[in-house]
Amino acid sequence: MASLIHCPHCGVRPKEEFTVRGDASVVRPDPEASDEAWHEYVHIRANPRGRTREHWQHVFGCRRFLVVERDTVTHEVYGVSDGSDVARGGGR
Amino acid sequence: MPFLSRHPLESKVDSGSSIRAVDHLEIPRSVEIVTVLSRQTDNATVIAGFAPAGDLVMRNVAPGEWLVLSHTDLPDSLQRRLAGLLTDIADVVDQSEGRVLLRLSGPNARRILAKGVAIDLDPSAFAVGQSANLRCGHVAVNFARSGENEFELVVFRSFTESLFEDLLVMGREFDLSYGFSSGLADPV
Ligand SMILES: [Zn+2]
Repeated sequence: MASLIHCPHCGVRPKEEFTVRGDASVVRPDPEASDEAWHEYVHIRANPRGRTREHWQHVFGCRRFLVVERDTVTHEVYGVSDGSDVARGGGR
Repeated sequence: MPFLSRHPLESKVDSGSSIRAVDHLEIPRSVEIVTVLSRQTDNATVIAGFAPAGDLVMRNVAPGEWLVLSHTDLPDSLQRRLAGLLTDIADVVDQSEGRVLLRLSGPNARRILAKGVAIDLDPSAFAVGQSANLRCGHVAVNFARSGENEFELVVFRSFTESLFEDLLVMGREFDLSYGFSSGLADPV
């Protein structure tokens, strides 16, 4: 696990201040999408080796939802951005 | 009859340490604390709206969220004053009964706090006047540097006792003393 996360609002913090809320790369299907698409979205997750995008919430700090891009093998953190910025940019 | 609240450390602290050490944990008894919440995009407007308030201390929590402290306002008056200043820009909610302020000062304050918080406490990294929410031990606090060797922690009322005990343990090697600002506690 990446040990230090650079929160865009609070600065460098240990991972213990955060809660990992899951995969940030899945895209919510259209409400009318098929059951298979919804099943896929809600339940099916890959367990990738390497670069991942996840939602992390800074529960002990600003309490904002962040999108953390990190490597599950090397623990390297590539970038952290505020979830609302990502959502506005359509990067959900 | 006015509602009189009891400080959560009332029975714990009693009259405090018999001797005040160089490193001291002070518990200000009556502090008015409110939260101010706005849209992230109104950040600058809120800060500008504060200007006429003068003596208030503004603490960072998150984008568009602050804690505001006053040592001089009477109960409720801070909330009313700010709500007036920030009409239509922000929501102002009184937290005075829900949060507690602790002030740790002394030449070893940094070394004591470094046992509980995981940020760089060097003044070049965390300057006087800077504030943020962080984790101290297992408790979430709003943490501020109020002086070179002085720090203020604002904690949820029900976590106060736990944080207080942690701070005493962290300060034991420096004989950290403690007590209410006003000296002797009111008779229980
Ligand atoms: Zn944060």
